[in-house]
Amino acid sequence: MSATTMPRAARPAAGERSGGPTFGRVVAAEWTKLTSLRSPWWTALVTVVVAGAISYMSATASSVDPGFEPTHDLSTGLMLAQLGPLVLGVLYGAGEFRTGAFRTTFTLVPRRWPVLAAQAVVLTAFTLVLGVVTVAVCVAGVVPAAASRDMPLRLTEGETPGVMLGMVVLLLGMALLGLAFGALLRRTVPALVTALVVLVFLPVTLMMMSDPGTDANGMALPHSVTPAGAISVFTPGTGITLLTTSASSEGMPGTPDVGPVGGGLVVGAWVVLLLVVAGVRLRARDAR
Amino acid sequence: MTTLTPRAAARPSRGAPARPGVTFPRVLAAEWTKLTSVVSNPWLALGTVVAAALTAYGLGLFVRADDGRSGSWVVVSGFLLAQIGFLVLGAGVGTSDHTTGTARVTFTAVPRRQPVLAAQVVVTTVAAAVTAALALGASYLATTGPRAGEAPALDPAVPGTLRVLVGFVVVGVAFALLGLGLGALLRRPADAIVTGIVLTFLLDFFLQGNPGRFTDTVRALLPSAGRRLLEDDAAVAVLDAATYGPQLGPWGGGAVLAAWVVLVLGAAAYRLARHDVR
Repeated sequence: MSATTMPRAARPAAGERSGGPTFGRVVAAEWTKLTSLRSPWWTALVTVVVAGAISYMSATASSVDPGFEPTHDLSTGLMLAQLGPLVLGVLYGAGEFRTGAFRTTFTLVPRRWPVLAAQAVVLTAFTLVLGVVTVAVCVAGVVPAAASRDMPLRLTEGETPGVMLGMVVLLLGMALLGLAFGALLRRTVPALVTALVVLVFLPVTLMMMSDPGTDANGMALPHSVTPAGAISVFTPGTGITLLTTSASSEGMPGTPDVGPVGGGLVVGAWVVLLLVVAGVRLRARDAR
Repeated sequence: MTTLTPRAAARPSRGAPARPGVTFPRVLAAEWTKLTSVVSNPWLALGTVVAAALTAYGLGLFVRADDGRSGSWVVVSGFLLAQIGFLVLGAGVGTSDHTTGTARVTFTAVPRRQPVLAAQVVVTTVAAAVTAALALGASYLATTGPRAGEAPALDPAVPGTLRVLVGFVVVGVAFALLGLGLGALLRRPADAIVTGIVLTFLLDFFLQGNPGRFTDTVRALLPSAGRRLLEDDAAVAVLDAATYGPQLGPWGGGAVLAAWVVLVLGAAAYRLARHDVR
């Protein structure tokens, strides 16, 4: 019997054999989960193609205008393409719960919140690459229109670098807000509907409410802040919209002029708030 | 062997009982049970009604008499948020069989499959019409205060007012049926909802910023053109005067939307009958 006991005693105990679920290994596992599915790649491809195609069409259509400036059409494609990262984030955040994989995941990582943090890290990395590629494709989409008018494409001058940075941050913000809604609500359809209402429909409604209107001659009133506009600037949807505006513009009618940096701070605050609430729900409530 | 014959005749026949198979009313009753027994559907209807009324109240507070809006615009302005509710209602009915796996049971019971889609159309129409009527009533009550104040009053004499009020219900039902068609066609709720929102709202909202002959023609051919039923005659005339594309008039947009509904439901019926259900 000593023959069998010897090797078993020599083998290290399970706890010593590995360092347990370190954060790096949770991140590696989440990276595999995200990239081994086909849908994130399809979503990314659709996002890039839609953004590029729309900026090409929009720049080509407006290249006949006398005041045409090629860099102004860079971000036009994002109005539709921003849905891609949002859907990606919602599906990724809720996917764990939808498929039942969370039972395995939370058995291995009993403290649970490192999983959510790792998901945020992984999604940030994925979306940053996606955002850079999308901006590059948008620039490529504007080139033919600029060439047709023999206009130089001034990407490094004035506010254009800021707008391009804002485009990447916009895609990142949509993905992380989607992740937060998905992780918080845990079911795809409610999370998707909530995210769409808050991020797509609410800004439009608030924009209609906050418009100060026109004077008796039908001319726009001078810039003034309306109550609805003051509320709207603190909503994530309006923050997202502000990200790709140029810093020198007057802002949207009726809203305080906080510029793209202010919009980015609002979006960042909402991302942190919603992810923290999702983390608290993970810690305090049952996962079934 | 002759002795066996009477005994065989006396034995009751095996297999399915000799009553008529699955009739349409029974499929309809089953679909109605499916719709009403899931808790999320009444909540969705309630959410749609509340969202419509709150939006109408909010927009009504900020509308002034010189904006060129009519009282009917104030009452139906909640459609902006309510439309997503109708879309999700339809998409839910269309996809629930496929996402939960109930499809296997359903289509074993109704092997010809298309009666199920027909029953879902009837059920969705009834549910969406009731929800829309409640939302319209709630919006009317919610905007009583604003309409008594600065916002314009609801005046039946303004041409097109009745069409706008009825249009709220009709377009709501049409959006729900479009969601049902997309759901039955794509079979995944996320896909159906995102496609529906792009078609009924986002593409139109985006193209609006780039007026031109091409973009205005595309806008006129999208299902979102159906929302023109929600504009009174003066607003429709303004829209027609501003467009570079085809001028649809008050009813053309409704016809475009109806064509989309028929097309998408037809495609869904084709896929259901011809392709595999897993």
